[in-house]
Amino acid sequence: MSLQIGLSSFVLASPFSDSDLSVASDVSSMGYEVLEICIEDPALLSAAAINKAAAENNLKISICGAFGPDRDVSSDDPEIRVKGIAYLKECIDLASAVGSPFVSGPMYSTTGKTRLLPPEARKAQLDLAVNNLREVGEYAATKGVGLAIEPLNRFETDLINTLEQGVELCKKIALENVGLLIDTFHMNIEEKSLTESITKSQKYIFHVQVSENDRGTPGSGQVRWEEFFSALKTINYSGWVVVESFLPTVAEIARAVSLWRPVAPSMDYLAREGRKFIAEAVTASGL
Amino acid sequence: MLKYAYNMLVYGTEPIEDGIARVAKYGYDFTEVVGEPEQIPAARIRTALDANDILASSIVSIYTPDRDLVSSNSSIRANTVDYIKGNVDHAVALGAKIVTLTPTACMKIRPEVDIKQEWAWAVEGAREAATYAHDHGVRIAVEPWNRYESYLINRLEQSIAFVDEVDHPGIGCMADTFHMSIEDADIAGAIRAAGKRLAHVHFADSNRAAPGRGHLNFTPFVEALRDIEYSGVCSFELLPAAGDVWGVLSGAGAPEFLDQYTEESITYMKNIERELGLL
Repeated sequence: MSLQIGLSSFVLASPFSDSDLSVASDVSSMGYEVLEICIEDPALLSAAAINKAAAENNLKISICGAFGPDRDVSSDDPEIRVKGIAYLKECIDLASAVGSPFVSGPMYSTTGKTRLLPPEARKAQLDLAVNNLREVGEYAATKGVGLAIEPLNRFETDLINTLEQGVELCKKIALENVGLLIDTFHMNIEEKSLTESITKSQKYIFHVQVSENDRGTPGSGQVRWEEFFSALKTINYSGWVVVESFLPTVAEIARAVSLWRPVAPSMDYLAREGRKFIAEAVTASGL
Repeated sequence: MLKYAYNMLVYGTEPIEDGIARVAKYGYDFTEVVGEPEQIPAARIRTALDANDILASSIVSIYTPDRDLVSSNSSIRANTVDYIKGNVDHAVALGAKIVTLTPTACMKIRPEVDIKQEWAWAVEGAREAATYAHDHGVRIAVEPWNRYESYLINRLEQSIAFVDEVDHPGIGCMADTFHMSIEDADIAGAIRAAGKRLAHVHFADSNRAAPGRGHLNFTPFVEALRDIEYSGVCSFELLPAAGDVWGVLSGAGAPEFLDQYTEESITYMKNIERELGLL
């Protein structure tokens, strides 16, 4: 796999469905090589339709999860944990059927759960995440798929905020096909140093999402892109880099989005200019 | 040369006398006081301030769900104006010059009614508060919060538009580097755009820890403050890495936010001032 640039479906339509796949030709003509499809509602998507759109437009497909309150592998409620596991297995089946090397996202909890737990309760929640993600990871391995776990900033989760915590979680799960998805928006809030956090977790980095500090067009804000890509160069990252932002209409993870004002002139502008900027930054870094 | 305060909110539940003694020990001239006048009487705070030769710079208002300037409930809106006026009185009693204002309850992220109506209520309430403040020699500072804490004013340019609409000498803008690190595209540019409207500043690094503990470059920010001839106080409002910061502070707290960050913060910022030839 060589480094290729993708676009998140959260920029295009939400919840993304088979009928939205007509945008694949736009995504491809903008120069993207990967379409990342976020599975808000699995019933709205089929592998056949995705594969057809991907083949027609010469796109690769990345599968990403969206973790609303009804699907949470570390919930206090066992029924919701079961639903969380079942949802992830559905995503894995789809990933396997559309050739996505992994299922990515903050799959250890529901997005927006930021409780202040005492240490014992926190450990209990983490243990649930570890055990259930190990089960899911083992299932994924049988399908030839990996898990790319995404740390989120403090306002979106209380469980895994930094790459370091993500690595700890991966070590506890202890499966070769389980690693991390890193996202510049969250890193801008939580990491002390982009370079150090990336080099220290290098062998776990499966996938990369890029977003500006305000979720606007990459290159228009404060993220230290040169440092970020030169750190990826240092670890010889050769995976995908997906441009992510959100339409204000995202349902499943509304809290995560929290976008109250336009962060770019339009989503089309964000997709076009973001790709251009990221492609140039990748080239400049020597990746 | 900047003036520094440390926000007493950061010290959580410890007695205010200990907090004020600590800022004095590490070379601060000011302290920022939590806007809960009924919890700690002004006279007690005043005694501690005088004993340590520390001034109160500002009152940091706490916007709980029943203190919401844009609530759809008119009595909550009225209560909020009264609460801010109470903080103005507290400021006067302590000799502080600033009371902070954010027009929404903290962590409320959805409007209750049409957002234009909410903005109009916010302008109306802020104007009443500003008038009262101005009459008492105090200025209201409008603080943008990041998207996870509020939906109405997230970015400094929105605070500027708000202050211009209120159009009263008793109100100005406020800049908090942690929120700006999430929301603004260009922090120094935003400060220059605010210019004389800038009434108050909160410092925290990109991860809300002490400056130097994250990755924010404070040098352009200090240069911008120099260029606009900012004469207010810069208060360190450092908070733990949690969605529920009140929960952390009212619970066990976080030990590094006490002596360690109090000392580091002022040292770090004074070094930047020294490098820029401001000290």
